[in-house]
Amino acid sequence: MITEPHVTSYLSEHYADDSFRTLDGYLAKGGFQGLKKALALEPEEVIETVKASGLRGRGGAGFGTGLKWSFMPKDDDRTKVLVCNADESEPGSFKDRLIMERGPFAMIEGILIAAWATGSARSFVYVRGEYRTCIESLNAAVAECYEKGYLGDKVGGKKGFAHDMVIHSGAGAYICGEETGLLESLEGKKGQPRKKPPFPAQYGAFGLPTTVNNVESFTHVSYILDRGVEWFRGFGTEKSPGTSLFGVSGHVERPGLFELPLGTPLRDVIEHAGGVLGGRTLKGVIPGGMSMPILPASEIDVQMAEEFLSEKGTHLGTGGVMVMDDTTCMVRVACVISYFFRDESCGQCTQCREGTGWLNKICTRIERGLGTPQDLEVIHEVPALMEGQTICAFADAAAWPIQGIMRHFADDFELHIREQKCPYPGSFEL
Amino acid sequence: MPTLTIDGTEYEVAEGRTILQAIDDLGLLMDQVEIPHYCWHPKLPIDGSCRLCQVEVEGIPKLQIACDTRVQDGMVVHTKTQRVQDARRGVMELLLINHPLDCPICDQAGECKLQDYAFEYGVQHARTEEPRRPAKKGTSLGPTIVFDQERCILCRRCVRFCREIPKTGELGVFQRGDESLLELFPGSELDNPYSMNVADICPVGALTTKDFRFKLRVWFLDDVNSVCNQCSNGCNISVGRSNNKVYRYLPRRNDAVNDTWICDQGRLSYKALDEGRLRSARVNGREAPYSSALREASALLRQARESGGRIVGIASPFVPNEDLYLFRELLSALGAEPATFRVPTGEADDLLITAEKAPTAAGARALGFAEAAPPEDAAELAIVLGAGDLALDRVAGSIVIDAYDSPLAQSARVALPARNFLERAGSFTNHAKRVQCFEAALEPDFEAWSEGELLSRIAAGADVEGFEARFEPARVLKQLAVTVPAFAPCLAIDDQGVELS
Repeated sequence: MITEPHVTSYLSEHYADDSFRTLDGYLAKGGFQGLKKALALEPEEVIETVKASGLRGRGGAGFGTGLKWSFMPKDDDRTKVLVCNADESEPGSFKDRLIMERGPFAMIEGILIAAWATGSARSFVYVRGEYRTCIESLNAAVAECYEKGYLGDKVGGKKGFAHDMVIHSGAGAYICGEETGLLESLEGKKGQPRKKPPFPAQYGAFGLPTTVNNVESFTHVSYILDRGVEWFRGFGTEKSPGTSLFGVSGHVERPGLFELPLGTPLRDVIEHAGGVLGGRTLKGVIPGGMSMPILPASEIDVQMAEEFLSEKGTHLGTGGVMVMDDTTCMVRVACVISYFFRDESCGQCTQCREGTGWLNKICTRIERGLGTPQDLEVIHEVPALMEGQTICAFADAAAWPIQGIMRHFADDFELHIREQKCPYPGSFEL
Repeated sequence: MPTLTIDGTEYEVAEGRTILQAIDDLGLLMDQVEIPHYCWHPKLPIDGSCRLCQVEVEGIPKLQIACDTRVQDGMVVHTKTQRVQDARRGVMELLLINHPLDCPICDQAGECKLQDYAFEYGVQHARTEEPRRPAKKGTSLGPTIVFDQERCILCRRCVRFCREIPKTGELGVFQRGDESLLELFPGSELDNPYSMNVADICPVGALTTKDFRFKLRVWFLDDVNSVCNQCSNGCNISVGRSNNKVYRYLPRRNDAVNDTWICDQGRLSYKALDEGRLRSARVNGREAPYSSALREASALLRQARESGGRIVGIASPFVPNEDLYLFRELLSALGAEPATFRVPTGEADDLLITAEKAPTAAGARALGFAEAAPPEDAAELAIVLGAGDLALDRVAGSIVIDAYDSPLAQSARVALPARNFLERAGSFTNHAKRVQCFEAALEPDFEAWSEGELLSRIAAGADVEGFEARFEPARVLKQLAVTVPAFAPCLAIDDQGVELS
């Protein structure tokens, strides 16, 4: 079990300390100071503070958190709802899990600050179904908050500020990490993304104005309100301030979580993880969870922030870094990725439903030594048909990694087709 | 009103509509403006999932789905660019990955949108080698529908229909990704009063009706515009006819009446239309040549007029407006009191089915017929259109004109077979006072004429002034429109009908 990151900063500073998971322990480490300061401000001022901090959402899309909050309707009598997206379903990502297991109060505090800022009376934390430990830890934390007056009628003793929080367990579908798929699932329906507009701020959970933020995004907010915008901007880059919990997996000596400022070069992230396993040669790195395009070894000097990664044709995503050395068959990687997305597509949109299946069939065929030159043509065309043409971004998430692999490692595919077999050792079957 | 420019042509469209809705409102969809679509249906909630209707909207970088993109004033849309064509071809190719190539044995062939669009917008050769998704073939979903799961393209029109229209929700899409399957919810059956509409809206051969499946290739059918006669709603139908036989009714769109739906009972009612027909003329209960029965009827009428005896008329809410009007004129010329009529009633719902189980009771009312039991006091002659279970004990003689046999037709002085509504043209007035025309679909295989035709001939034969031995429903409707103010709007009637004023 991972209990603390290998490299820590403000988010994860106390994760090794078990008392940090209790309300008293959290308070002893300066907890709920951010909420206290927020409650002394007008809601608008809190939103402005978060906007000024430059905090970008940590769920994958990197949208400005403060800006998102400002979309919540002001003159609307309906109950407003916050949803904390704790579905963390992106392969390669395991940061939210640690936040919930080791520092649940910081996340709850962030939600309460957002509730004050947006006038929300209700929040739901939608937790990935497999995260049993997180659900236990959050339920315990929420119970303690109710007991000590941090949830309920007068949050933090503030008159007129009532807030209820519900911990809701998902049932294990990747697509329920997409915010509108999550809302459908939360409502008890099949997890299928909704077409937009209307956006959640107008018509979200149960038809109410809703803002959905990621676990890590909420958690940063607690520290921003407590320690200030200037302090927060002292970490990371101009456009991507703050730290992030990078989860490094794959062919590295020391896989795990590393809390590093955004903008840290990818090479350094890998170095923190002890470098490539067994001193072998790096082949490629997926920088931000499985749905992000892969980078070849030659590109690892890129700084880990959206503005730099997008120049390289990929994205920060969730910061899940997947390292692959030169023993890696990229056709097998494509098989695994396309298998995952084929299995997880909700099946609504034609391009996604059929395209993910087709890609997986072709990758599998090429890996088995049955590929044809026409397959290479199709493997280029199908992702282009999927990208940007569906209800949600899932099809993009399924198309991008294949496009990335084809951009940098088409040789592997050509070799498979030319030799009519996989040139890499070992057997491979999903 | 916002303007919308599509491929260089500017249209004025209604406020707050999406591109497809706006074009459909104008009646131009797939006619002047080709935007192919599967999941979108004008009468169902927007789904936005098939992604076939993508178009290029100026100022928006990504292609947009026309079904769910709201028209902004001045919006400029392109439907014929290379990008749009590529996207359509892509969707078609993807849809065909898992669709069997069984058109030769598929009952939908000829009216299949997958077939049509594949020809129009698709690719000619498959680039897949893997087997298609395994799925069920020819399973029963309930009393009316057969399901070929392997042909389903998951547009979910049927799912939305069951949820939103009859609100029974029997169907759902289960599993995920390319393993998604349309299924019944466990323990349920597709058995609701509107179930067969799912076959109409299914763009492919996945859902077919047990009634029509494998009966006939659709290209052998002619469609005849008609109106269902099973209740007073007057749902617009298209009668599928071949070789002087009806093979099916399909709903015909009329947004003011039945949208695009009909109930199953109405849809299947064609099957019983030929049961219990009065097939030959009778005089005094005995079969007689049609012409002599007509002469006998004229003689009876002449005799009653000359003797000054009481003549009563009994009308039927199944008889078209034109014939009722002629009946009214005849009774008035004879100095008789207005005819009475009765309306059979039954169950109603809040969708289409009304309690009055006859197509034109409102027409009879508008023409001044009395909704009452038939007169019980003595009369010399009764002229009866549609006898049913009627008994006229105190009438000396009766002329029964009816498409169906009855005890009265057997005991009448004269009984004349009439045509049913499929065998003639005419119009009905529905419960909302909407007059709707129907065309003749069939020719009876025995001698029979419309009520109006027979009344005209009988009257002419008895020398009633102003009556000629001919009857053309269209001409009579015009006359009706001119003489009866409520029917004035009928001068401008079209295939969607008009409301009485």
